[in-house]
Parts: sequence; structure tokens; C-alpha cells
Amino acid sequence: MTQTRPPEGLEPVHELDLFQVHNRPPAGQVSLRLNIRGRSVSLRRFHRPPRGLLRWLLILGPGLIASSAGNDAGGIATYSSAGARFGYDLIWVMVIITISLAVVQEMCSRLGAATGRGLLDLIRERFGLGWSFFAMGILFIANSGIVVSEFLGIGAAAELFGISKWLVVPVAAILLWYVVIFGSYAWVERIFLVMTLVFFAYPVAAILARPDWGEVAKGAFLPTLDLDQEYIFLLVGLLGTTITPFMQLFQQSSTVERGVARRHYGPEKVDAYAGAVFSNLISITMIIATAATLHRAGQTRIESAADAARALEPAAGQAASTLFAVGLLGASLLAGAVLPLATAYAVSEMLGTPKGVSLDFRRAPLFFGLFTGLIFFGAVLALIPGLPVLEWLVAVQVLNGVLLPIMLIFILRLINDGQLMGRLKNTRLYNVLGWGTFILITTAVVIMLGSQVLTMLGIIPQ
Amino acid sequence: MLMLSELMRFRVIDANGDTTKLTDLALGKLDTDYPLVTHMLYRQNQEVERVLPWSAVKGIDKAKRLIGVESYRGAKELDTPGQPVRLHRDVLDALILDLQNRRTTRANDLWLEQKKGQLHLMAADTSARAMFRRLFRRGYHEKDRSHLYDWKYIEFLRGDPEAVETGARYHRRITRLPPGEIAHLTATIPYLHAAELLSLLPEQLAADTLEVMSPERQLQVFEEFDEAFALKVLELMAPDLAADIVGHLDIELAQYYLNRLPKASGQRIVDLLKYPANTVGGIMTNDVVTVPLHLKIGKARPALREKLKEPDFVYFIYAVEEQPPHRLRGVLSLRQLLTAEDDQTVEEMMNPYLLALSPFDSPTEAGYRLLNSQLAALPVVGKEGELLGTVSIDAAVSQVAPRGWRAQAPKVFS
Repeated sequence: MTQTRPPEGLEPVHELDLFQVHNRPPAGQVSLRLNIRGRSVSLRRFHRPPRGLLRWLLILGPGLIASSAGNDAGGIATYSSAGARFGYDLIWVMVIITISLAVVQEMCSRLGAATGRGLLDLIRERFGLGWSFFAMGILFIANSGIVVSEFLGIGAAAELFGISKWLVVPVAAILLWYVVIFGSYAWVERIFLVMTLVFFAYPVAAILARPDWGEVAKGAFLPTLDLDQEYIFLLVGLLGTTITPFMQLFQQSSTVERGVARRHYGPEKVDAYAGAVFSNLISITMIIATAATLHRAGQTRIESAADAARALEPAAGQAASTLFAVGLLGASLLAGAVLPLATAYAVSEMLGTPKGVSLDFRRAPLFFGLFTGLIFFGAVLALIPGLPVLEWLVAVQVLNGVLLPIMLIFILRLINDGQLMGRLKNTRLYNVLGWGTFILITTAVVIMLGSQVLTMLGIIPQ
Repeated sequence: MLMLSELMRFRVIDANGDTTKLTDLALGKLDTDYPLVTHMLYRQNQEVERVLPWSAVKGIDKAKRLIGVESYRGAKELDTPGQPVRLHRDVLDALILDLQNRRTTRANDLWLEQKKGQLHLMAADTSARAMFRRLFRRGYHEKDRSHLYDWKYIEFLRGDPEAVETGARYHRRITRLPPGEIAHLTATIPYLHAAELLSLLPEQLAADTLEVMSPERQLQVFEEFDEAFALKVLELMAPDLAADIVGHLDIELAQYYLNRLPKASGQRIVDLLKYPANTVGGIMTNDVVTVPLHLKIGKARPALREKLKEPDFVYFIYAVEEQPPHRLRGVLSLRQLLTAEDDQTVEEMMNPYLLALSPFDSPTEAGYRLLNSQLAALPVVGKEGELLGTVSIDAAVSQVAPRGWRAQAPKVFS
């Protein structure tokens, strides 16, 4: 007769042979020997972080999401426009800016871990109410523009599928709103992220399109400066879409949200670095793929999403447009949910009002009002007939580029505050790289604005 | 009645008509209901900030926006920039805990009042109007004062756990709240503020509060405690929850604490750490009340009185053999112990027919068994029948409940 469990409760407890079952620890349990009060004890309850690759994969999180959301509708539009118009000429900007992006994102991550607070929060506490409203205004303008561009992206993807944007954009807006407020957003976020994996088609397309790698290398490592207005406009756009104020806000608050403490910050740097390198590699291949197809074929202007999708033809052939649409939809939905949510969080946090999707409209009116308002605003503006989609997308990135130096000043001043940061304060190298980024972007913005003023005054011919 | 934002636009003037710019106000002790402004800070042109005792103030002219002082004699240069707490630099815009409404908010403005020549901090204005007043430099003319929160019920945190150590004073009215509410409040503030808040609680309350916090937050906050406080909190926590924390620390730090904890509580935690987290041993507690098998109830009662004061779980009393390995023989409920006759023995009263768990059983299965049995706890027994600990209904619920509910599951036995 086999018996899996002793007859407990039927015989006195001391008469039971209890340990026919489960008298050994489950397989695969690692024990640690520690010396406690002079005796060596074997302990099994210690939580050991996974080793090797898995450990690093687990660290990846906010950085990857922020950067995937960075390769959104606006990003694709800007990278594709740069590739189509100027071929490989602008790749050098991306190479330089990868370092800048990594540095900026890492600084925000570090600010979050060292203080446990969001970016706007810190700005209010350290620089006062006026500056925090100023920063909030900037983020608001930048983020509202991006939300509109996400819905434009959703509309464009829908039309590539042959479905009217008039149907898809409102449905997507309601869906995003509902999922974030009532559903399990964490689960949906994974679907959106998986959809963006489609953009791995870009590296493939970039290789299959047989670009002139010598030219690519020249574009990447030999900076060229063209005083052509469009060149500078796109250059600022590239800076703005790659290092977006929103990404810094998001990186910092998700580091806080993930509960990264200052004592364990070290390995978390990898997330910011990996996110930056990963996203910019994809961006660079977008430029290469577009340059090797559209630019080479003489098409230097991208008028629609369908044009941009043609860059994927070497990899996907006939399916290029569908593939592109899936990726665009995923990236736009991802950013379309993350952006209003992050904005509402940051603003509520700064103002000290209740926040969080677990509350309701009555308890957190500002938080829900902002979130709903941003989605509504984005969807409605995206449906305005005759809105020049591609121009809008690129213009929003340029606006981001203009606003970026202001956010960078706040970040750099905060991260050098010894009282706030303690031993996580910026090192000299980081300061050189951080201020270098600031100077790079400011110079580009000043040249762009200057050349536009000069054009308006008629000094530079149009 | 004065709002700080208005006062900050005032100038300081002495009897000779020399004017300077008010830059901040410094508070005295913060452990009173309405802290007193003890000093003012001012600056003349671009010179360094100087400090003047508030007692030098003769009067405040609101219409002319002037603070009149006898003279600037007695003013000093600021020597310790960190101390004391300053209203404009530290309190205004800071995160504050509004204990009346159990919420975290921000001090958008501060209401000060003069009483007998002294200036007191009376309330915090948390309204949106206060922000706009400041942004547009408007005066305070509101009749409705419902947005002013009495400073008596506000806990001001600095976001630095070490502030508690450096002698910065706190109101500590929060210590009147139950641990669950304090834990709930800490969930809405940054982890450094939470660590600061717990550090200023009495040790037992801090331990109880830490027990009901979410596991991630527990660890973040615990790691910010200073060593002596951390050791005391570990000692006072239920051993199973303390083992959870120690099991997540870096190995060197865990070993350091385990070697310095008082022997009894340290041993209890070490015993629990021997079992993997995904087993019954990983969720049980070993802080249980036992009684020798052959003791008379009349003698057991006074002997147990002291023991019953400490452990969290006292509903069941386990009868064990006097001789090692102290095998488990039965269980008595607290009610049975109180109602039994004095000359009966424990053995006569106890229930010997027990459901028992093995330390390496699956915790989920054990959770279901416990819930199905409708008992408050099941004992966990070792190889030789010795009592190792019990799995209480709290632990069972947190195994079986959906993830989102676990934090809200009541802690019956703590």
C-alpha cells in the first residue's frame, strides 16, 4: 500500500511517521555557509540575484522602454527624413549623441536612485515654485506635441493597413485610456514592446540594401557641417528625438518606481547605457536603410508613412508596408500610453496632489484629468484634416531639441548638488560629457534659430 | 496673520533707516505644536547672509512691507549652513504629512502668527490658490480658511534619515497612529523620507510598521537605518519577517547583523534562514509558546504569563516533551488554558490529534490546508517530531491570495 501523507489528525501527533514526504529541501536550492557566533551554519533562505546574462537582462527595464518609446512615430519620421534627404551624412550626429544619451539617461537614473524623487519634484524642492512651473510648462508643451505625434503614428499605421484613421484613432484613444485606468497596463505594455521588436527589420534591411559601407563609415566618423537650413533643422530634430525631455522624466521616475536604492545603484547604470546604445543602433540602421533605398533611388523627400516603409523593402519585400505598420503601431501605442501617464504622474507629484491609477477621478481629479486630457487632445489634434503629418512629426522633435538644453541645466545642477546626491554626485568626466552635450545642443539650436531669423530677414536666401 | 510668501517680500529696517533684504526665517524646536521663529536671516546688497535673533524685531508694518529692528548689532555671520531648519529653504515646497487627513502633500505656503512679540508657525496652506498667489506675487485675502492645515497635525520630513540622528527635532505626533496607517502613509513618500519617518518612531512601533510595509519598501527603508536602530528593529520584529529582510541583505551585512543581534532573537532568525523561501519553513514563524507536557495547569498559567507577553502568535499553546528533542505532543488553546482546572495536567487537556506540516512542504499547499481546516495555525514539525514553528493564517492567506491583495490582507497576529 502506498501512502503519500501520514494519517495526520487520526493518530496522536507523536506517533506519526511524518517524514516519509518532504524531508529534503526542494532540488536546486543553493545553501550558503555563514559563520555565526563562531559556528558554521548552512542557510538556504538567502535571496541571491541571478548571475550572468540573466542578471543583466533583469536590470534592463526603464531604459529599454524609454528608448523604444523614443523610436516612435516622430523618431521614425525624423530618422527616415534624415536618411532620405542627406543619405549617410547625418550619421555622425547619431554616433556622438549615443554617448550623450547614455550620459543624460544615466544621470536621471542616478538622480532617481539617490533621492527617491522625480525630476519635477526635485526641481521644485531645490529651485522653488517658479522654476518648477517653468519646467512643467516645458515638459507639458513638449509632451503634448509628442502625444499628438503618437496618434498621428497610429493613424498612419492604420492607413497602411487600409483602415480609416477616423475609426482607429478614436478606438485606440479609448483603448489606451481604458487599459491604463481599468486594465492591467503592465501586461499590455509587454505586447506593445513586442510589437516594436519588428523594428529589428531595420538592421536587416540596412544590410540587405547593400549600402556603401565606406560611405556609411565616412558619414559616421567624419562630421560634416552643412549650413543648409534643412540640414540644421534635421540635425536639431535628430538631437530632439533622440534625447527627449520626456525620456529623462520617465527614466528617473521608473528608477524610483522600481525601488532602486542608492546603495544598490551601481549595476543599474547598465540599463541606461544599454537602452541608449540599443535605441541608437536601431535609429542608425533606420537612417542607413532609408539612405540606401530612397536616397539612392533619388527620392529625397518623405511624404507619407508609405514612403518611409519602403526602406524596409530589401528585408521584407512586399510585406515591408505591413511590417512597418505593425512596428509603428506598437511604438506609437507604447509611447501614447507611457507619455500621458508619466506626465500626469510627474505633475501631480510636483504639486503634491494625489496620484496613481489605483485611485479614481474623485480622489485624484488632477491626475486623471491630465491623463484623460492629454489623450483626448492628442487624438483630436491628430484627426485634424489636412494636417501635414510628416512635417508635424519632425517639427515636434525640433521643438523638443529646443527645450532640451533647459532641462539639461536643471539635471546638471541637481546632479552636482552634494547635499542631495552624496557620494553619487557627478564625477568630472560626467560633467565634461554632460556640459558637452548641453553645448552641442545649444549650439545647434542657436544656429538653427539664427539661420531662420536670417532667412526671415532676407539675409540668407530661402 | 502673515503668510511666509508675503513676508519674504518684506525688507528689514533698523532705527537708522538702514534696510536689508529678508532671506529666510529659522525655526527653534520643532517638537512643539507651533514652532517658534528664533532668528531671521538677511542680506545687504551682495554680502554674505547674516543672522539676527527674532527678539531684535520691534514690529512688522504690513502696509509698508517692513520689519523694524532695533539695530543690526547682535547679528552674526552664518556659521553652520545646514542647521537649523529654515522656513523658506527647507519647509516651503517640502513634502509634508497631513496627519488629520492621512495624506502626503506639499507646503504651498506657510501661515505665521505673531503672539506677544513672538512669531509662530501656525499652519500650512496646501491649496492650489497658494501656488498662484506666490507665482503672481499676490497678497493673502481669503476668508475661507479650510485649506489651512493646523501645524499641530503636520509632520515635516527632511528627506534625510540622518537628520534624526543629528538632533533635528520632530513633532512625533505620528507615533499616535497605528502601524498600518503609518505604513500606508510611507508608501506615498520617497524611500528616504520613509526611512527618516521610521527612524523617528519608537523602536517597537518602527518594527511593527516595518512588518506591514511592502517587501520592496521594507528593504529600501531598512538599509537606510543606522546600525544600532537596525539591530533593535530586527530584534523586535516577528522573526519570520525579520528573516525575510535579512535574507535579502548583502551576505556580508546579513552576517554582520546576525552576529550582533541578541542571542535569543538572533538564533530564531538563523533557524528560520535554514529553510528556502519557497517552503513551509520559509513562511513559518518560530516564535511560539510551548508548555511542558506534564505540568499542572495551575503551575502552567503563571509560568506562561511572562511568555505570553512577547510572541505575536499566542492563540495556540503547544505541549512538548520535557526531554530533548522536545517532541510535539499536542495543542491547547488559550481558552482551554484559562478555563481548565488547576490540578489537571497539560497532557490531560491537550488535543493530541494534530495536523502537522513538514518544513519542506510546499507553502501554497500548506496555505490551502490551513484555510480548509479553518484553524488559526498549523504546527511545523522536524524529523524527530520536534516543534519547529507554526504557519499562521496570515502567512497562509498571503500564499493563497492574489498578489495584489496580499498587502491588504489583515495581519491578525501582529
